[in-house]
This record gives sequence, structure tokens and C-alpha cells, in this order.
Amino acid sequence: MIFGKTKNELKVGVFVFFGLVILIVAILSIGEVKTWTAGYEVNVVFNFVNGVKVGAPVRVAGVDVGEVKQINFIASQDIDTPTKVEVVCWVKRPAKIPVDSTIWVNTLGLLGEKYIEIMPGKDYAHILEPRQSLVGVDPLPMHEVVRLAKAIADNLNESITRIKNKEGTVGKLLYDDKVYQDLEAFMEDIRKNPWKLLYRAKEK
Amino acid sequence: MNNKNTLVDFFTRLGINTNTFFAFLGGLSRLSTQTLYFAFTPPFKKERVFEQAKKAGFDSLPIVSMVALFIGFIFALQTAYFMQRMGSEIYIASLVALSLVRELGPVITALVVAGRVGAAITAELGSMQVTEQIDALETLATNPIKYLVVPRFLALTLMLPLLTLYADAVGIFGSWAICTQKLGISSSLYINVTREAVKYKDVFTGLIKTVFFGMIISLVSCYEGFNVEGGAEGVGRATTRSVVLSFIMIIAADCFFTALFYFIFP
Repeated sequence: MIFGKTKNELKVGVFVFFGLVILIVAILSIGEVKTWTAGYEVNVVFNFVNGVKVGAPVRVAGVDVGEVKQINFIASQDIDTPTKVEVVCWVKRPAKIPVDSTIWVNTLGLLGEKYIEIMPGKDYAHILEPRQSLVGVDPLPMHEVVRLAKAIADNLNESITRIKNKEGTVGKLLYDDKVYQDLEAFMEDIRKNPWKLLYRAKEK
Repeated sequence: MNNKNTLVDFFTRLGINTNTFFAFLGGLSRLSTQTLYFAFTPPFKKERVFEQAKKAGFDSLPIVSMVALFIGFIFALQTAYFMQRMGSEIYIASLVALSLVRELGPVITALVVAGRVGAAITAELGSMQVTEQIDALETLATNPIKYLVVPRFLALTLMLPLLTLYADAVGIFGSWAICTQKLGISSSLYINVTREAVKYKDVFTGLIKTVFFGMIISLVSCYEGFNVEGGAEGVGRATTRSVVLSFIMIIAADCFFTALFYFIFP
């Protein structure tokens, strides 16, 4: 019983080897099958995309329907227009995007992955054709958010400082006990002379 | 002149190596088809399968459980190193359980069994071949494949999934021990997170792999055992080759199955 010494076995070996290679290639390439399903590409133009990457998901009305295929710069032609970014989104065929849809960059979680969110509009008579472009709503850059938050915090801080310094109506209400004492005196007076509640000054 | 010779030598060796590789693959295919044929044709010899199953399965339990336990310890500690930085120690349980059940359990068990049982099979069949006992079997009208290979093949194919299940359990126990005793995770929390993380699918993808690992180990070891040439030294060489080939083929098959389960049956 010796194996692997005859010519036939050599031939079988070659056959098995190439069979395995084809099988492995088939399995590895089948992962791409998903992108072979019918779909089309649309372009979305942004001024700022806040770190969207190629391969980021595209959602229409919250449903995953595709992914970002490519991100290109559109160099400005003249001095007035800033450089824009064109995001090429691949979308599955059944998903229709009306021209009046709102498109923006959304974040999964607080600091999660960025993705393209498409909220479909109402005008299904005019649907975005393949390769057509739509202008997206720019995401708020983080430093803008921080600046806004700082402005709010500053305002709040000022108000609180004034309240602490017993300025203004609220400050006086909190720190000046004159109102309280007046109220107490009033209550005491009413307890002693309840008839005052029913008393009506005679009209002249 | 000298240069030309080395070049010729190089291509000669390349040709011989390629030839040997393809012949190995062809011989292995022939052995596997014959083994499969004889495995499912009567007469069936239960006793010989049980004997081999005891050798391959039961006798491997101590070493498999020891290795799995240590892998459980190590994995819990190594994961904890990073998870504590992230402040998410709870996920150690699910991470350890998933990687043990899906990947480490099957592969570690297969490697241990290949080293322990596969080498023994090659040495046994190799010395039988060297002393011409296999030829003697043939003259007695006993098919050596039916008599020697099939019981080992069936035993390893059936025992490796069971050993893997056992190794999974022991590894998870080891990680549980580290997490509850050293990392301060409560026992019930650990068990709940593990049960939430591991699905039946994960266990089965791990077990399906091991069936094929068992086939690889038994067929490669028997093939190398049958092919021994050149006395005691040849037996030693064959044993080394059998373990090395088993290791390589197990890892390659594992890669293949991982890709298969990732891309086609997610």
C-alpha cells in the first residue's frame, strides 16, 4: 500500500489542486455578490462631509440601501464658489429618491460611524435618475457646535452670576427676604383678624 | 558553467517539488475516496472503531482540557488588559466565549490531537509498513484500508467534535474562573453575558469545522504511515512530516471554513 507514486495519482492531484483553487476563489469572490445586485449611483454634493468614508452606509428613510462608492473633490472654478465634495452613493434599485429629498450626514450614536441619511421627499413624479446630483445639507462641524455651546454657556453664566450678586428680580426673590417677611406679616394679620378677608371698603 | 548548473538544479528541484506536491494531493484523494468507500460498505467492525475512539478521544481528554483551561486563563487576562482600558470588562465574557467557541476551541483541539494522535497513527502504521505487516495483511486477503484506516478515520471524525465541545466548556470555565476570582466580575453577570453572546450557530460553525479537521488528521497520518520508506529513520521522518502537514492543512482548512461561513452562511 503505497500512495502518491503513480502517474494517475499525479493527474488526480493536479485536478484536485485546481478544483480547490477555483472553489476558494469562488468563495472569496462571492462576498462581492451583494454589490452585483441591481442598483444605481447618485451624486450628493456637500461643502463639508465630516469624515464620511468610502463604504459608509447610505440609508433611505432609515433603511440601509447602499453605500458610499467614491468621494471626489469638485475644485472651484472661480473665486466665489468654495471647493465642494461630491459623494457618489450606490443605491439598490428598489429604493427611489425623489428630487425633493433631504440628504445629510448623520452619526450612529454620539461619536459613531458617519453615514449618509436620505429622508425621502414627497415628489415621486420626479425621481433622481442614475448619475444625477443633489445638494446635501452640510453637517454642523464639531467646532461650530462647540462654539454655539460656549456662547450658550457664557450667557447662562452671566445670568447666574447676576442672580448670585442679588441683582435683578430673580436675584432679589432668592436672596432678599423682604417678600417673605411681608408675606408672614400678612398671614399673621389675617389669622388674627380673619374678618379682613370679608371686609369690603365702602365705596364712596 | 557553474552558474548554468545551479540554474538547472533550481528548476529540477522546483519540478520535483511540484511533482511531489501534486502526487501527494492525488494520493491523498485516492486514500480518502477508498476510505470513504470502505467506511460505508459492510462488514462494519464496531469494536475497532471503539478502540480507536478510546485512544483518540478519551485518552486525549486530560491534555485537551489542560490546554483549553490555560487558553481560557490567558485569553481572559489578555482581553482584560485592553477591556479595562476601555472600561468595558463585561464584554470579556462574550469575547472569550465567542472566540473560543468559533475559533480557538476547534483549532487548538485539532492541533493537540494532530500532535498526539496523528503522530501516533503515523508511527504505528509506519512501523507496520517497515516490518511489512501491511503487505502481510494484504496476503491474508484483509484490506489494510478497511482494517487500519477506516476505524481511525471514523474515530477521529466522531471524536474531534466531542473533544472540541469539551474544550469549549473547559476554556469558558477557565475564563470564568479568572474573571470572577481576579477581575471582580460577578458570576451571574458573566454567565448571563456568555449565554447572550453565544448562539447555536456559533457552536455549530465551530463543530462542522472539526469534522473536517478530524478527516484531515486521520487521512494525512495514515497516508504518511503507509508511505514510509527506509526503516526506523523513515518512520521518524514520516511522523514529523505527518504532524507538520496536518498542522498546515488544519490552519488552511480553518481559513477556508472561516471565509465560507463569513461570506456564504453568515
